Amino acid sequence: MRPWRWLVAVLVATWLLPAAARATDRDGRIRLWHAWRGEEEAALAELLESWDGPTVEVLAVPYDALSSKLGSAIPFGEGPDIFVDSHERLGEYHRRELVADVGDAFEDGAYVGEAVDAVTIDGARFGVPLSMKSLALYVNDDLVAVVPGDLEGIAALAETLPEGVVALAYEANNAYAHAAILHACGGRLLNDDDSFGFVGPAAETSIDVVLDLLDAGVVPREADGALVTNLFRSGKAAFAMSGPWLAADLATPEGDAVRYHVEPLPLLARTRGRLQPLLTVESAMLSPSGAARPEVRRFAAFLASSAAAARRAERARAVTARTDTPSADPIVRAFAAQGRAAVPMSTRPAMRAAWEPANKALRKILRGDAPVTEALVEAEHRFAMVMRPPPPARSPTILLVVIGGALMFGAVVLVQRARTRAFREQVRRSIPAWLWVAHAVFVVGVLVVLPLLVGTATSLFGGPPGDVHYVGAANFVDILTARGGPLLASGSFWLTLLVTVLWTVVNVALHVGLGLAFGILLARPVLRMRAMYRVLLIIPWAVPNYVTALAWKGMFHRQFGAVTGATMALGDWLGVTIEPIAWFSRFSTAFTANVATNAWLGFPFMMVVTVAALGSVPKDVLEAAEVDGASRWQRFRHVTLPMIGPSLVPAVMLGAIWTFNMFNVVFLVSGGDPDGTTDILVSEAYRWAFTRDAQYGYAAAYAVLIFVLLSGITRGLDRIGAAAKAKVGP
Amino acid sequence: MVEIRLRAVSKRFGDTVVLDGIDACFPDRSFVVLVGKSGCGKSTLLRCIAGLEEVTEGGIEFGGRDVTRLAPRDRDVAMVFQSYALYPHMTVRRNLAFGLELRKEKRAVIDARVAEVAKLLEIEHLLDRHPRALSGGQRQRVAMGRAIVRRPAVFMFDEPLSNLDPTLRNTVRVDIRRMHDDLGATTIYVTHDQVEAMTLADVLVVLDRGVVQQIGAPIDVYRNPANRFVAGFVGSPAMNFLDGRVVDSTVELAGGVRVPLPEGTPAVAAGKTVVVGIRPHDVRRDPDGTVAFVVELVETLGSHVHVHGRVGDAVFVAAFEGHTGPKRGETLSLVVDRLHLFDPETGVALR
Repeated sequence: MRPWRWLVAVLVATWLLPAAARATDRDGRIRLWHAWRGEEEAALAELLESWDGPTVEVLAVPYDALSSKLGSAIPFGEGPDIFVDSHERLGEYHRRELVADVGDAFEDGAYVGEAVDAVTIDGARFGVPLSMKSLALYVNDDLVAVVPGDLEGIAALAETLPEGVVALAYEANNAYAHAAILHACGGRLLNDDDSFGFVGPAAETSIDVVLDLLDAGVVPREADGALVTNLFRSGKAAFAMSGPWLAADLATPEGDAVRYHVEPLPLLARTRGRLQPLLTVESAMLSPSGAARPEVRRFAAFLASSAAAARRAERARAVTARTDTPSADPIVRAFAAQGRAAVPMSTRPAMRAAWEPANKALRKILRGDAPVTEALVEAEHRFAMVMRPPPPARSPTILLVVIGGALMFGAVVLVQRARTRAFREQVRRSIPAWLWVAHAVFVVGVLVVLPLLVGTATSLFGGPPGDVHYVGAANFVDILTARGGPLLASGSFWLTLLVTVLWTVVNVALHVGLGLAFGILLARPVLRMRAMYRVLLIIPWAVPNYVTALAWKGMFHRQFGAVTGATMALGDWLGVTIEPIAWFSRFSTAFTANVATNAWLGFPFMMVVTVAALGSVPKDVLEAAEVDGASRWQRFRHVTLPMIGPSLVPAVMLGAIWTFNMFNVVFLVSGGDPDGTTDILVSEAYRWAFTRDAQYGYAAAYAVLIFVLLSGITRGLDRIGAAAKAKVGP
Repeated sequence: MVEIRLRAVSKRFGDTVVLDGIDACFPDRSFVVLVGKSGCGKSTLLRCIAGLEEVTEGGIEFGGRDVTRLAPRDRDVAMVFQSYALYPHMTVRRNLAFGLELRKEKRAVIDARVAEVAKLLEIEHLLDRHPRALSGGQRQRVAMGRAIVRRPAVFMFDEPLSNLDPTLRNTVRVDIRRMHDDLGATTIYVTHDQVEAMTLADVLVVLDRGVVQQIGAPIDVYRNPANRFVAGFVGSPAMNFLDGRVVDSTVELAGGVRVPLPEGTPAVAAGKTVVVGIRPHDVRRDPDGTVAFVVELVETLGSHVHVHGRVGDAVFVAAFEGHTGPKRGETLSLVVDRLHLFDPETGVALR
């Protein structure tokens, strides 16, 4: 068979297979998608054995991908009939009509009120509650004899604890954990009218509570989840406020790492309110086509039944939302009790936009970088900025006319050329050549050109998913005018661009400098154990960069980081007191931490290129310079460097592009702190797409601008490289 | 413009002995040629004198000044490399000026010197080109210019002609000697080509396996080789070596042929076995000759002919003036005008 026939055959098969799949799913099977792993997945498999209805096809989807997969499958009739997801995504699903009323699958009176609230939108039930997840209070039984009834009591216990043991470990600067205290003060993260809730007297009181705890040393500063786990696990925390995952982390093959029990969160004496954590209710949801099928609804009821809940509790310590299925496991019972005293996460899409400003404000205040009220008001503005209505719909006429005109012009030119015999002859002769490159053209087209076109097209649209409309160049106008605010305000395109350029220049300079230095050392003929050094120096490159980024973030921790440890040790040695640096509270230090991480990650590449380039410098040219009277430095400066320069230019170009788009380091190390100032363009684009109410059009406009900028940089560097190469020649 | 003195210079790389106790003194303004087969240590000796290699033992003096541990730039030397080693990223002008710039000469001085040298070497029209735009001969000239422009005390050449085609090689060879005579510096020149060595040298140093075999004026080395190695290496075509025994005033070759010892041959105890060395040019066709020479191959070079054949069982080459040679298979009678005797054990010339 000729190659192009293969291609056609493959294409036809690709089109036919999904059609075949569609044909078979009408034979009564039930399609279930879920994001369960480990024991929970095993519990599901056990349950399915006792299901007596139609065959269930199970597909496990990663949690982070579930939402977008549902959004792209269900509207085309491809998705599941039933899926398991967190209830807070219901609002979005409801808006996009991915879910339907579960009808008779919902068993009235069987669930705790909080869980029922969680799955109810406008009075209708859009999910069947399966299990609940929330924070609760872990108590180390070796350190605490009597559990105080309120938070102030826990704080008072701090005095009596041994040196180096904190009273309460929890993620103080995470809004998710802070919500428990906010609720005790009568506040909410998001109000029912979609306005920002983390502002005003209740929010300020809640922050005062935390500031007091931090100042008294009751709670560790800048704790993240891993630190909370480590502190509690190693017996260095009397209490921990954490979720069921901590229990899993405490379990070892020889039993639990510490003696502990779990109970609901205590009172806050100051307001006489109870600490109420946010509640996530994992629910079975039905797609519109699934909800219409009685056997699917029966299957949903089966998943939520008392027997199923008991199985999940036993196998995976899942906390049921049912009132009639008490567990024998004291930890599960404690979480179940906490579930009844929790606040369900808001299902409103606006909730997604509330996290970022709330977290930023919280971190800023707890670091002591801004007065409480000011930071909260700023957060409210930020929220409003993200939630502002999308640009008005525009008529796409102009665009269509331009595209149409361009196509027309192209067609005319093509027809004119096709009239000439020579051109037709040329085309005919080049057909075999086209067949040779067809697969490459196809792959590049699908993987590179198509996403580029789709991305560019997306940048011309606005509005939340499900309600997208054409807005013309409004996204670009918005970005380039900094949304009407000052051009260099925090979070504006121009400031971010400035930071990105600074980031790129500093990093590439360090990469080239370090790479050259190490490359030259490695290339020295007298070096012993060269192979070992080479391996050691390449290691930073070989380790996945997000692992490195997380490790460096840990090293820069203000209280427990290695950098702080080193400076303290240095201070002890010198006999002076060096205050621990809060690395992420100022732009200069946060930027330095990012740069240090990325320099570590990036220099091995330059080093390898340098070693290769140095090999191409003839020895006798260097000797000629030596005889001519050049010192070691002069030989490097006037001979080696100009000769390896042209080989380094492409590497510098690649390095510049990688650094310009180095999302992992910025996102994982500083996370944009302080206040989004260390964010670069890609991480900013990411935030618009994934943490700010899914403004894909706006994020795509950022991406297009990044693309244009990088194309410009590449062309510029290319010119420099060509000029340098022309000089030295072959 | 210095006298160069080597005192027991040795160079070892690990266990490998490359130079073994070399003693020599090269007078000021002399043209010294280091010659030997490849691997004999001649390039290493040059690099040691230039300072590119450190000597393992021994010392080097330039005009009474000990330079053994000095870097090349402190020795006031210039070198022309076999590959020319021009700076590829610099124009010819900067290639020439670079050494002066490093020495912080004034701009006007640099420009004047570069112009002067460019004129001398006839490369003025190439000054703004890069090396890759030059032919091999032009590059060679630039490399020489780079050496001359600094007016060093010692010039070094490391096989500078080996990358040139044969005709160019002859002209450049003459240019190098002329340049040496004009500049009046001391020159050290490495080659494996004994024609270059003979034509250029004031002082010829023949090296073998890291040891000096003979030092002297080329004609002395040619006429009175110190040993069999030198005798075989210097002169073209190479000297013929035959086994023999001294009997009375003749030497008897294998096969019983007797050759009378010409006048000037040193006296040797009768009955001693020797190696007889006869240069191809030192035989002559003569009906009275005692040596029978069977012709196997004739090479005609125009001015003279080289005849390859046998004397007894031994291979023999003879060179005759003129352009017509004997025929193949013919037997000629030869008279030997001059011969050399060597000790068969040590190879040392018997004098």
